[in-house]
Amino acid sequence: MTDKISCGSRLMQLLRAYGVDTLFGMPGVHTLEAYRGMDDAGMRHIGVRHEQGAGFMADGYARMSGKPGVCLLISGPGVTNAATPLGQAYSDSIPMLMISSVAATKDLGMGRGRLHEITDQSQVTAPLTAFSAIATSPDQVREYVARAFALFESGRSRPVHISIPLDVLTAIDDKPVTRRAARGSRAPASAGIADATKLLAEAKRPVIIAGGGSVRASSQLVALAERLGAAVVPTIAGKGVIADSHPLALEATLDRPATQAMIAEADVVLCIGTELAEPDIWLDGPLPMNGKMIRIDIDPEVLVRDYDAAVAIEADAALALADILAALPASIPSKESHNQVARIRAAEREALTPLERKHVKVLDALRRAMPDDGVVYSDMTQLAYTGYAFYPCAGPRQWIFPAGYGTLGYALPAGIGGKIAAPERPVMVVVGDGGFQFTLQELGTAVEQKLPMAIILWNNDSLAQIRDGMISRKIPTIGINQHNPDFIKLAEAYGCRTASPQSIEALEQAVTAALAADRPTVIEVRESAGFLA
Amino acid sequence: MTTVGEALISLLEAHGVDTVFGIPGVHTVELYRGLAGSKIRHITPRHEQGAGFMADGYARVTGRPGVAFVITGPGLTNTITAMGQARADSIPMLVISGVNATPTLGKGLGYLHEMPDQRGMMERLALFSHRITDAGELPGVLARAFELFATSRPGPVHIEIPTNVMALPAGSLSAGSANTTAPRAEMSAMVEAANLAIIAKRPLILAGGGAKAAGTPLQKLAELLDAPVVTTANARGLLHKHPLGVPASPSLKAVRALMADADLVIAVGTEFGPTDYDMYGDEGFLLPANLIRIDIDEAQLGRRPATIDIRADSALALEALAGLIEADRRNDRDRASGAARAAEARDAAWQEIGADMRAQVEVVETIRDALPGSIIVGDSTQPVYAANLYYDHDRPAGWFNAATGFGALGYGPPAAIGAALALPDVPVVCLSGDGGFQFTLSELGAALDANAAVIFVIWNNRGYREIETSMRDVGVEPVGVSPAPPDFCRVAEAYGIAAERLDDLSDLAAALKLARATKKPYLIEITVA
Repeated sequence: MTDKISCGSRLMQLLRAYGVDTLFGMPGVHTLEAYRGMDDAGMRHIGVRHEQGAGFMADGYARMSGKPGVCLLISGPGVTNAATPLGQAYSDSIPMLMISSVAATKDLGMGRGRLHEITDQSQVTAPLTAFSAIATSPDQVREYVARAFALFESGRSRPVHISIPLDVLTAIDDKPVTRRAARGSRAPASAGIADATKLLAEAKRPVIIAGGGSVRASSQLVALAERLGAAVVPTIAGKGVIADSHPLALEATLDRPATQAMIAEADVVLCIGTELAEPDIWLDGPLPMNGKMIRIDIDPEVLVRDYDAAVAIEADAALALADILAALPASIPSKESHNQVARIRAAEREALTPLERKHVKVLDALRRAMPDDGVVYSDMTQLAYTGYAFYPCAGPRQWIFPAGYGTLGYALPAGIGGKIAAPERPVMVVVGDGGFQFTLQELGTAVEQKLPMAIILWNNDSLAQIRDGMISRKIPTIGINQHNPDFIKLAEAYGCRTASPQSIEALEQAVTAALAADRPTVIEVRESAGFLA
Repeated sequence: MTTVGEALISLLEAHGVDTVFGIPGVHTVELYRGLAGSKIRHITPRHEQGAGFMADGYARVTGRPGVAFVITGPGLTNTITAMGQARADSIPMLVISGVNATPTLGKGLGYLHEMPDQRGMMERLALFSHRITDAGELPGVLARAFELFATSRPGPVHIEIPTNVMALPAGSLSAGSANTTAPRAEMSAMVEAANLAIIAKRPLILAGGGAKAAGTPLQKLAELLDAPVVTTANARGLLHKHPLGVPASPSLKAVRALMADADLVIAVGTEFGPTDYDMYGDEGFLLPANLIRIDIDEAQLGRRPATIDIRADSALALEALAGLIEADRRNDRDRASGAARAAEARDAAWQEIGADMRAQVEVVETIRDALPGSIIVGDSTQPVYAANLYYDHDRPAGWFNAATGFGALGYGPPAAIGAALALPDVPVVCLSGDGGFQFTLSELGAALDANAAVIFVIWNNRGYREIETSMRDVGVEPVGVSPAPPDFCRVAEAYGIAAERLDDLSDLAAALKLARATKKPYLIEITVA
């Protein structure tokens, strides 16, 4: 393979060598050379309606498949339009590769006013990425791609942005592509494992907090919890890492009082792959813990942040948990913690507000209609705030939520990306009326790709969370009661199927039908609907 | 007690701000405490990109800075495309965002909407980015921003206020005094420039976006020198129908010939950007050898060699230059006829753009003539590209779009809403393609909320034809250029906006007049064969 093709065309072969078979993007005059090589390389291109859609789809694709999501964008507005998806992927540690054009090397930083010119593209995305680099030769393209995949595969995944100047994209690149071997998962140091094992074996009331970093360690985590008889509290990102129906599992209620009280009383708390960030705990300050803390994380910075851990282990979660399991003595003292699980689950459900109960009614219906392997992509909407805790999941990564960065409009394009990654799995989107309008144009992409998706539009006719915040702080309510469109008509304008169920049964049927359809279905549910009263 | 948030509102009022565009969030609610009691109107878009573009449209028609209020994190990253466009097109824009509480900043604790370094990103895009940590900083920072907008090359400015600072007591603050006097030219340079101009036989003026507000002195100088005036896309509307006006792009051979033939070129408020001067990348643009350059930005002057550089406000410099030339008319008889040179260039340019583009320009002319004195806000779509090459608008600052500079798709609809809110008595038409319109179509809701009577005209050619053509030109099999558009009339109806579809362009004028008569937002879809 020493044919003389352009760097842009070669890039398609290079990405294929790293296992990439799908790109999300919108072509532009500046990225033509990459498009030239797409067909020959066997690369699939999903055309979007706005570059934010490409970014969120790459994110949703990555969360579904576990593989990096890749988007291909033009310089300038193409990149800035995808800045919010970069921010979301950064917050949630999602492997995303954004490849874009940038001005020709002779024009970089010159301020000539060229089309799509930006002051300093790589520096604009630098704070939103693991690294943002400009490849000034075809060789550098290879180097940066290798570095990106090494990071995705063995470190804390975060988005990477590679900018390729126009003159580099068109330069002849006659070298064959190779995939450089990545380092593999990080094994724990044995001393840390010994300390952690000792603490856990002796603990009377151990609790495990399982974050997004544990989703690939589900079987080891469940085995350890069962060995220890330890209660497991999943974070939002860790939801489903232990099945919600498991007797040791709490729901994802880390931000609720009874769960937090249980953690405070535990004598050992094992935290795996979690930042214990604000949206996980909703406390102004650290999570109270009176017992000893063991922390396992791939990111050494997280290990020392905010908390004084008794044992801190820098490692891949699955490897560390397997080592602890192997090191545990044959007989360990019996634990008290598992007795509390049912009581605390009941207490959290008891404490639900009337509005949350209404949410649960809807969520239960959605769950009944959803097969066990279904995946829900949720947006920033009150229904999802209840859902991340109380929608039962059978496995990890089945309830996706833009927790950290908190982006409106995430769910629809992310869901599209998920469905593209795994056509065989049922996909549902849960979005509010405000968030839906951030990215509704991607209905066009979903229709074009003939994706059977159930899009639940939770309509409370306002930015309700903000309204409640204004009222509680005695601020006049401004800018939150916008005129909503007729969502059904809007969906029809894009050629979607639609439904406006007026009973719980009709809602379930609408979801079931949507999942079997030949295109997306928008299902509008109004918070004020009589059947939810 | 006055809080920082409330003090900000009263300071903005003191600086003449009457409208802010924003989406409130839990992280900015304290900025809204003072709004209800103020005279400032709050407009809520459906996405923060809309807030930024609306502020841009508002600024372009008023000359005053457009102001946006957004939340930290996604609110701000959603706005940065609009900031990039404002930077490229020198539009005064003030973006005020929240940021997480000061004790949490930079630690990576994972707070909601947290970014590792929000200001680090903003400093690259904005003219400056400032974090308020104490109420006392507010007057000075705002004064700095408003002074900068008035006295130098404008662009976006970012101010962030941590959530724990927003609610702090602010005491009583009065607005800092901003020096908003536009810079005058140094006299010796003006005399030198006048001396060059007086002896020129075939002078030519190039007017860019920086000359928008200098229509009267520009025309006076042109007439004194009998010099044709070439207007870039952002300067269209200057010298409308004037015999010396050449509303055609310097990327055209005809206009380049006019430039090459000139023995002196006076360039006013133009950066010689490739989207105006070398659209086709044929490198055929040559900087005039004998060049007087007037610009408000030193950096811009430094980028290209000129015979005489004049750093000044364009109107002040043109007035002064005209005054000096008026006093010495001895060479007037020797000049080649400016009107004849201009007419020749216009005719050649009109021929050069070809039949397809001429037909597209005629669509824009139909809009202009159906609604005289209107503002036409464009997106990146074929008739807009064509009219940027050749089109004579009938009012200064009344033709603008994002097809040049940063080139952001989806600019048109929200920018048009911003313009309509700023000038409610002026007809505003948004001319957008089917691809670009979908970037920001949810802002139809904002138009209805605020009763911004924009007429949205959609040029529906079912895809990204400009990109498709480029692909074919370089032998790439077209990929991803034909996304099926929605039924736009239904989309409008879903938002409660009246709409109609035209298959015949001869119905356009009547449809526009009817739409304008409703005094409400309206959508007209033109299906392109």
